[in-house]
Amino acid sequence: MTHSNTPIVRVEHVHKYFRRGSERVDVLQDLTLEVPEGEFLGLMGPSGSGKTTLLNLIAGIDTPSEGKVWVQQELISEMSEGRLAHWRTRHVGFIFQFYHLLPVLSAYENVELPLLLLGLSAAQRRQQVMTALDLVGLSDRIRHRPGQLSGGQQQRVGIARAIVTDPALIVADEPTGDLDSKSAEEILDLLVELRKALQKTILMVTHDPRAARHADRILHLEKGQLVEQAVVA
Amino acid sequence: MKYLLLIFKNVGRNLLRSLLTALGTMVLVLVVTLVWSILSLIDKATEEKSKDFKAIVTERWSMPSRMPFKYERALAEGAARENHPEDTRPTDSMAWRFFVGTLDNENRSFRNTMFGLACNPDKLLTMMDGLENMPQNQEDEMRGAVARLKSKRDGIIVGRDHLKNLNAIIGNAGDSTLQNPIGRRFKLTGIASFTGLDFEFEIVGIFPPGRYDNFTAFNQGYYLDTIDAYPQSHGKRPHVLADRNLSLFWLKVPNKDAYNRIVDQITSSPEFKDPEVKIETASSGVGSFMEAYRDLLKGMRWLLAPACIITLALVLANAISISVRERRTELAVMKVLGFRPGQIVLLVLGESVFLGLLAGLASAGATYAVINWWLGGVKFPIAFFDSFFIPVNAIGWGAAVGAGAALAGSLVPAWFASRVKPAEVFAKVG
Repeated sequence: MTHSNTPIVRVEHVHKYFRRGSERVDVLQDLTLEVPEGEFLGLMGPSGSGKTTLLNLIAGIDTPSEGKVWVQQELISEMSEGRLAHWRTRHVGFIFQFYHLLPVLSAYENVELPLLLLGLSAAQRRQQVMTALDLVGLSDRIRHRPGQLSGGQQQRVGIARAIVTDPALIVADEPTGDLDSKSAEEILDLLVELRKALQKTILMVTHDPRAARHADRILHLEKGQLVEQAVVA
Repeated sequence: MKYLLLIFKNVGRNLLRSLLTALGTMVLVLVVTLVWSILSLIDKATEEKSKDFKAIVTERWSMPSRMPFKYERALAEGAARENHPEDTRPTDSMAWRFFVGTLDNENRSFRNTMFGLACNPDKLLTMMDGLENMPQNQEDEMRGAVARLKSKRDGIIVGRDHLKNLNAIIGNAGDSTLQNPIGRRFKLTGIASFTGLDFEFEIVGIFPPGRYDNFTAFNQGYYLDTIDAYPQSHGKRPHVLADRNLSLFWLKVPNKDAYNRIVDQITSSPEFKDPEVKIETASSGVGSFMEAYRDLLKGMRWLLAPACIITLALVLANAISISVRERRTELAVMKVLGFRPGQIVLLVLGESVFLGLLAGLASAGATYAVINWWLGGVKFPIAFFDSFFIPVNAIGWGAAVGAGAALAGSLVPAWFASRVKPAEVFAKVG
């Protein structure tokens, strides 16, 4: 798979720390990286290494203590909360480890949720929702609530929700962490297929080396710093 | 529309909690609706009218009032002087003479005691509150009763509650006084200061339902004749009420100016000095009567109703806080999807207000239906007040109280919901 030369994500000298009383806890330390458009990037590392934090910074749901983050040439690290929320709806699709579907909504309504923020007509929303559900193979489950779906099916709905707004960037935080190996493999294959078909850039945090094999490149983090990167053969 | 659907679905997320919250809201709104309805009724009764209102003349320093018989003629003219056309006269007037008697002097009880009014029958249709604007069928019945009262010296018009008591005491099985009251006869023996005044009456009519259910009215001529006859059987001693039997005098005046002039005429007239009289509008008269209940009414208005509303806000605040805490992850997900803090606030407030509004509306609506339609009003336990009904705008109050308390109570939980930080939530969850 060839990637565009223009990096879709640029992280420059990013630090992220928290204060616990007088103590400063460094989560990310002087991190710099670029992600070319169309790449499937895996982020690995032990617990507490900062990989989820890095994902959150790139997805715009957290801001760095120092440094800059660009996504699609937009400096998201300096956007206000309101502007970031607006930006996320259009530019980022997030896939959670535990799916985090709203239990009171059907599969259709869960996928439709981000579209409610875009001012589309009901017909336009319907078209996009059905397209997304078709892509993940769940168009026959649109009225089912999350409680009526298996783990794998719920994650497919989660993926559909992540792609329904046609974002350029998809971030996935351990998307197969709560699935059995068969379902996990299906989800990863789906992600790869979507990346190819829709030309999406995917950033995935994972502990699982088998999951990481689906990525184009793997970055290892340790104690908030990049220690190694490897291109997957 | 979809946003409303999300609000609606979130309310249904925990049906038991939503139901209990709604029930709590309904109970508190019920109390507020009842309190405000009672206060509204009293406010209306004590509200000063600007025209065609009534004034009451009573003894200034004594209660109950017992004005001399001789006051009646001068009061009917508003103390206007003869040959002085410039003096103001009332447009109508009515003398009230009270009487209290029992149906069974040996075994007196509240149930067999009757309160009566000796008056000029013609004035019943023009001067009695509530009887001036009756539905046509009731007006026809009342006119018939008044006509019979005028033609029958010992006639009496009774209220419905008295009729029920009469039926229980003097009615026969299979021949109910309730069904055929006209023509029934009964005796009343005077009690307290009316001791020695005994009457035998024939029922000639029934008051329309409402404020006169515990009332009777009979000819003042019969009353005065009985007082005059008292010495014949009591060693030539006059009855204590012989000279002073005028309890109240009503005056109808066209406007405030006329009222003020009549007040001057009466208070400056030498005819009303022994005993002195006072004159006040009916509304202020009611207000004076209600003075005894002032602290109770104040407590209802400024303590009970606000306490209920505050409690309601706290109940809803508690329910919404629990809901927000339970949904912290969900709210974080919504923020990740792009929902702004303001939208999260609106969502939480919307759920609370929706629940409060529905529960408030249901409570006030049910209160209205039960009290007005099923019970036919609740008898107000204070004399001369009509039965208490829930005004139709109470349905609006109930909805407003429910929604308003919900809004107030959920502001803080909604604000906290909007401050949820996805990065913190998923750091713990992941």
